[in-house]
Amino acid sequence: MAETTDYVTLISNDGFEFVVQRSSACIAEAIKRMLDPRNNFSEAQTNTCKFENISGVVLEKVCEYLYYHEKFRDQKDVPDMDIPPELCLELLMAADYLNV
Amino acid sequence: MALHNFQGLNNGDEVDFESTWETLAASFTQIHTKNASLLSFEQLYRQAYKIVLKKKGDELYKRVASFEQDWLTEKILAKLKGLLSNALISGNSAETGGQTANERLAAGDRFLRELKTAWEEHQLCMSMLTDVLMYMDRVYCTDHRQPSIYNTAMALFRDCVLLSRITTSEEQWVTMLGVLRNIILEQIKMERDGDIIDKHAIKACIYMLEGLEAKDTSNGPEKLYSSAFEEDFIRTSHDFYKAEGETLLRESDAGTYCRHTKKRIDEELDRCRSTLSDSTTSKIERVVEDELIRNRMNDLIEMDSGVKHMVDNERLSDLGLIFDLNARVDSKKTDLTKAVQRIVVAMGTAINNAGAAASQTQPAPAPETDGDKAKTTVAGVANLLTVAAIKWVEDVLELKDKFDNVWSTSFRSDQALQTALTRSFAEFINAFARSSENISLFIDDNMKKGIKGKTEYEIDVVLEKAITLLRYIQDKDMFDRYYKRHLTKRLLMGKSLSTDVEKQMVSRMKIELGNNFTLKMESMFKDMTLSEELTAGYKEHVTKRGDPDPRRVDLDIKVLTSMTWPLEGMGASSESDEDARMKTIYPPAIERLKMGFEKYYSEKHSGRKLTWLANMGTADIRATFPKVPSKNGTIVRKHELNVSTYGMIVLLLFNDLPSGESLNFEDVQSRTNIPTNELIRTLQSVAVSPKTRILVKEPMSKDVKPTDRFSFNESFESKFAKIKVLSITSGNKVEGDRERKETEKKNNESRNHNIEAAVVRIMKQRKELSHQQLVSETLTQLASQFKPDVVMIKKRIESLIEREYLDHIDGGDSLRPLGPPAVRIESP
Repeated sequence: MAETTDYVTLISNDGFEFVVQRSSACIAEAIKRMLDPRNNFSEAQTNTCKFENISGVVLEKVCEYLYYHEKFRDQKDVPDMDIPPELCLELLMAADYLNV
Repeated sequence: MALHNFQGLNNGDEVDFESTWETLAASFTQIHTKNASLLSFEQLYRQAYKIVLKKKGDELYKRVASFEQDWLTEKILAKLKGLLSNALISGNSAETGGQTANERLAAGDRFLRELKTAWEEHQLCMSMLTDVLMYMDRVYCTDHRQPSIYNTAMALFRDCVLLSRITTSEEQWVTMLGVLRNIILEQIKMERDGDIIDKHAIKACIYMLEGLEAKDTSNGPEKLYSSAFEEDFIRTSHDFYKAEGETLLRESDAGTYCRHTKKRIDEELDRCRSTLSDSTTSKIERVVEDELIRNRMNDLIEMDSGVKHMVDNERLSDLGLIFDLNARVDSKKTDLTKAVQRIVVAMGTAINNAGAAASQTQPAPAPETDGDKAKTTVAGVANLLTVAAIKWVEDVLELKDKFDNVWSTSFRSDQALQTALTRSFAEFINAFARSSENISLFIDDNMKKGIKGKTEYEIDVVLEKAITLLRYIQDKDMFDRYYKRHLTKRLLMGKSLSTDVEKQMVSRMKIELGNNFTLKMESMFKDMTLSEELTAGYKEHVTKRGDPDPRRVDLDIKVLTSMTWPLEGMGASSESDEDARMKTIYPPAIERLKMGFEKYYSEKHSGRKLTWLANMGTADIRATFPKVPSKNGTIVRKHELNVSTYGMIVLLLFNDLPSGESLNFEDVQSRTNIPTNELIRTLQSVAVSPKTRILVKEPMSKDVKPTDRFSFNESFESKFAKIKVLSITSGNKVEGDRERKETEKKNNESRNHNIEAAVVRIMKQRKELSHQQLVSETLTQLASQFKPDVVMIKKRIESLIEREYLDHIDGGDSLRPLGPPAVRIESP
């Protein structure tokens, strides 16, 4: 079995690759399970997730959110994250898909 | 919020359900055959996501369920069934036929292990499936209130595997679960019998049962484990331990039983930890406790080798075991407490009986002897009685030591048991009429002889023991009476070895029983000190005056405060004696001395009256006996005689008598005015005892009769220069029956006073009380001194009412004090 790394790679449908911390990535329930070494799917083997239905722009925002979430974990008075209105709908759908 | 109403991240692709399902189903098979690494989670996830978005979640859910069902039935169940032999299915060891226990065990093991593997794989696969189908769980199951696919799959395992029927014959069938249960129970039984089993396999299966709900619909936490296994387990354990308890009780002694039980409990606890479920721990513990302890405790205690046997043979560790067992099932240790109390009381009663027997059988042989012997025998009997009394105390102390030891080592110094022991000791000690007297005698004996040559620490121990016993005594006033009497004799006759120890004892009593109790004893000691000063002062006074009398008599005086000293016990018990003593005629020399001291005393303390108690005193007389010829010529025969004061008075009478003349009893009495019984006793000591026969009595007999005549014994001989004339009453002995009645009467009188005083005190304080309340308050107030009789209290209250100290309020039950002026309280 491939070793479990600290960083994982998330790939969008248009080929953008985002290398993010595993702990941040696993905030998204779907990603977490995808990478779960016990289940041992191919994603877990390669520490890489390819999302066929998420564009690079959206995935970037998702990663930003994951870090944002990690950063402000267990804190109050968290500042709002800046989200451009045109991305809202797509982001919402991605969030639903990834179970963030 | 779920967004499945949108097209989602579908990008408008049409999804064909059937083909997608085909892909999924193929992947699931891969997962089940452990080939998941070939699959992309993302793809599967996205496909399931799409199906759900297309509102085909319901269909997907059903397909997955039926896929699992097929898989379980076809692959898993078939595999497990292959492992089952007929014997295992029937679960009846009687039908094993040629199979040995070991083979059975091995077959069972194989089955358990296989089941365990199957279960673990199922769990793993299902968790993977669940992950892939997460979106379905999240959206479809939540919205339609379906159990998650994981739970459904687990239930499927239960229904398709565990609850599947295995036909054994035409009509009969058992479920897989039944087989499993039988195998586990059988293996546990084997382990109890000493075989070694595969605990991990069982534990895994138990874990599985614990993880499964008993029913789909059950809302509660009822697991398959408790419904399908635990009950049976508890039931068989009950039977097992019941049978074992019976055999054990029959075949081994109590100690072994206890050890075995303890081992069994530990085993069961261990089994629950390592093999079964922790949730069963308390239940199985209770089963073992019930069967081996609670239901058997009585039998166990009553066994031949039970508690009594252990106490007798000092089996402390066994007793400790019994204690632990009993404490386990009953925080109050009722059974053991009762048994121990019974034993203590029985042993105590045995001591009591021995004591009573000793005091009753001894006087019998006395009348058979005659002459001089009788005297010594009577004294001997009294001595024997005293010895018996002291032996009683020592026996009781020994018993106490024994149980203290048992209590501290075996009973873990348990509070409840200590109380019980104390109660039992108090019970039998108070049941013995002479306990107060005996304890006082015991202290007396120790003060006079026992503490000689002992270190301070040892003395401490003895005193502590005496105090311990004293604590048990209910009628402390009785003890007080005896102790004061004995103390008086010790002090006046200088029998006490150490005043320090005496004082220590009193201060101990003070701590134990309070100030009131020892007040008088302390003033007795004060009197002694004062008397010493007084004697010294008087001596100085006499020397200063330069009294020229060559035949001066030294006076060692003890001035006693009449209220504090229990003089009635000193032979001055009745009024007539009182009169007689007043008139005792002293020889002139003594009379002068007496007057001299009285004068000296009244100069120092005016207004006090001295009463001379000749019966308490002793005197040293230097007596010169006529020379008698002997082989070595004549020797001067001077002896120093130590006699009682009365003895001195009597002997001085003969000083003035011409040699050869005699006095009869009446002469002696009229010239001395000594009370008759005292005189008889005095004369007995100086005229009858063989070693101190200073007077000759006519006729020779052991009794002194009014007609007897006495003359100086000129041929008196003794090897010693100093002779102690023993007075018959000197020692502290056990009382005779008559004396005892006297003491009891006196005691009752003083109790009456105490009760009245208490009643008046209470009434003064409380102003108004009902009759019943008054009685109970009086009881509590007097508890530290003695245990008053309720009838006695009622009588006293009546008497107080009669004498108009108390009054019924409006003729009702309530009472109020009327009282003489000092106590009068105006009622509003």
